[in-house]
Amino acid sequence: MNGTIHVENIEKTFKGDVKAVRGVSFNVADGEFFAFLGPNGAGKSTTVQLLTTLLKPTSGKLEVAGYDVNKDPEKVRLSIGVALQETGIDPDLKGRELLEFQARLFGFSKKEAKKRAEELLELVGLTEDADRLSGKYSGGMRRRLDLAMTLVHQPKILFLDEPTTGLDPANRKAIWREIKRLNKEEGTTIFLTTQYLEEADQLADRISIINKGQIVATGTPAELKRTLGFDAIVLQFDEEDEAISAYEAVASDEYQTERVKNDVTILAENGTSILADVIRKLDERNLHPAQLNVKPPSLDDVFIQVTNEQKEGGLNE
Amino acid sequence: MNKQQGNFFSDTLVMTKRSIVTILRNPLIFIPNLAISMFFLFVYEAGLSGIANLPAFEGANYLAFILPVSIVSAAIGGAGGAGQALVKDLDNGFFSRLLLTPSSRLAIVLGPIIAGMLQLVIQAGLIICVGFFLGLEVAGGALGVVVVLLLTLGWGLAFAGYSVGVALRAKNAQSAQAGTFIFFPLIFLSTTFVPYELIDAAWLKVAASINPVTYLFEAMRTVLIDGFTDTWPIVLGFLVIAGLCGITITFSAVSAKKAVSTD
Ligand SMILES: Nc1ncnc2c1ncn2[C@@H]1O[C@H](COP(=O)(O)OP(=O)(O)O)[C@@H](O)[C@H]1O
Ligand SMILES: [Mg+2]
Repeated sequence: MNGTIHVENIEKTFKGDVKAVRGVSFNVADGEFFAFLGPNGAGKSTTVQLLTTLLKPTSGKLEVAGYDVNKDPEKVRLSIGVALQETGIDPDLKGRELLEFQARLFGFSKKEAKKRAEELLELVGLTEDADRLSGKYSGGMRRRLDLAMTLVHQPKILFLDEPTTGLDPANRKAIWREIKRLNKEEGTTIFLTTQYLEEADQLADRISIINKGQIVATGTPAELKRTLGFDAIVLQFDEEDEAISAYEAVASDEYQTERVKNDVTILAENGTSILADVIRKLDERNLHPAQLNVKPPSLDDVFIQVTNEQKEGGLNE
Repeated sequence: MNKQQGNFFSDTLVMTKRSIVTILRNPLIFIPNLAISMFFLFVYEAGLSGIANLPAFEGANYLAFILPVSIVSAAIGGAGGAGQALVKDLDNGFFSRLLLTPSSRLAIVLGPIIAGMLQLVIQAGLIICVGFFLGLEVAGGALGVVVVLLLTLGWGLAFAGYSVGVALRAKNAQSAQAGTFIFFPLIFLSTTFVPYELIDAAWLKVAASINPVTYLFEAMRTVLIDGFTDTWPIVLGFLVIAGLCGITITFSAVSAKKAVSTD
């Protein structure tokens, strides 16, 4: 089985000249966990629908599981599991019925479908609620049922469009745990979209940042952080007055300094080398931070920088 | 690996079963439909039966004449409900989930269409029972009742196919509902209340003769009033309805494909 994705220069223009996807290319390797990170309206859902046979591209080439999406949509559908941004659940059916129904459509016999439904209910922790109408489920339960329906036929590639948006932390953790397991233990290729940097950072092997229908940066979480190349020295004071004095003391043309309430942050290309200098300046004024941390840049910083550059016409425009 | 292309017949069966379950779980939608078509039978019979004394009726019983109208009009609720069910599936995202399964697009639309058709056949059965209660006599006998139900089945498929196709194009409840209004010209520009010979306006005669529903009425009335002495109107009725089914079901299956590929 081939769990790869190849995308070459796809474009999708909706009616009314809405350019949702504007020349996107990427490859996902078999067994890789790939994340599409971007704000609302970036084109994430459109890309997922293009990859999963639900939309036809305006132009470009799409290959999923080794099949041309345009020519062999049936074969693609057999190889993939898709959880769209909106869950796809009939509220008039019970959790168990929905899973058995889904299994039947993927060619399971009645007996096999029953067994598979039972396994999946167990997996997503819905065994006790299996015989209640899904319309009565909470948002988190619906998400978990939707994920279970996606897994019925043990797909080689899983597409998850913002699977944790709007979930409480407990349900979010449950979903994370399950998709991590699928990727690590079963070798399932995962294509996940998210607006949460933390989520992409935690889960993905590789991330593409998408904004306004274009990929603006791609790499491992570590690589993306390195391209930004700034370390942050964070000084926390007990009093705001101290923070104000410290800000004046350390401010310099060589690096960027910011103060928010009691915290002063210094962004520098090589944080550790200027650290001694910063501490000396504070000492001279007799200022003693309650805490001092040196942190590599967070993905948040990368995201903000990359999308800002695009806004200013710095990238790809 | 536990995956394979489903089989068309088993997919259609599974889809139909699911549509029937959702109908049964919403009795507030289907019970009024049942009630209204029986109500029409009462009203037509009570208000219009005097017309049957006109010579063109050749002594036929008006109840047998009007029964097909009651059955055909029941389709708007019964078979038309298939379109409403589809709009619901589109709204809650379940339809996308169906499109992501390997089942054929035809099987996906046939589920609600067949369920809508069955609903209409049951309605027709009840209408006929009420008819017997009101003194209906069927010239074609038990076989005649079966033939009327078979014609109803065809009409149910055709109308449900149409309403599903419209729902897939419209994608919202209001437009889908508006689409079922085609039903009104269909049922009233026909031999609805009086036989063809008694229609006055020339334009209405033309409309009636090109309206497929006229042939359905004729076939049912022939069975109910004259039995099987002249089989041609019955055969013609089946042919017209079969053609109509072919058109509307193709329309709905094509619309299911379009529901995803364009935009
Ligand atoms: N069916 C559609 N018709 C017209 N425009 C659409 C359609 N779907 C999405 N769009 C537009 O395309 C852009 C990208 O949307 P989407 O892919 O949903 O972004 P995301 O999932 O990243 O939030 C948005 O501007 C959105 O309004
Ligand atoms: Mg989206």
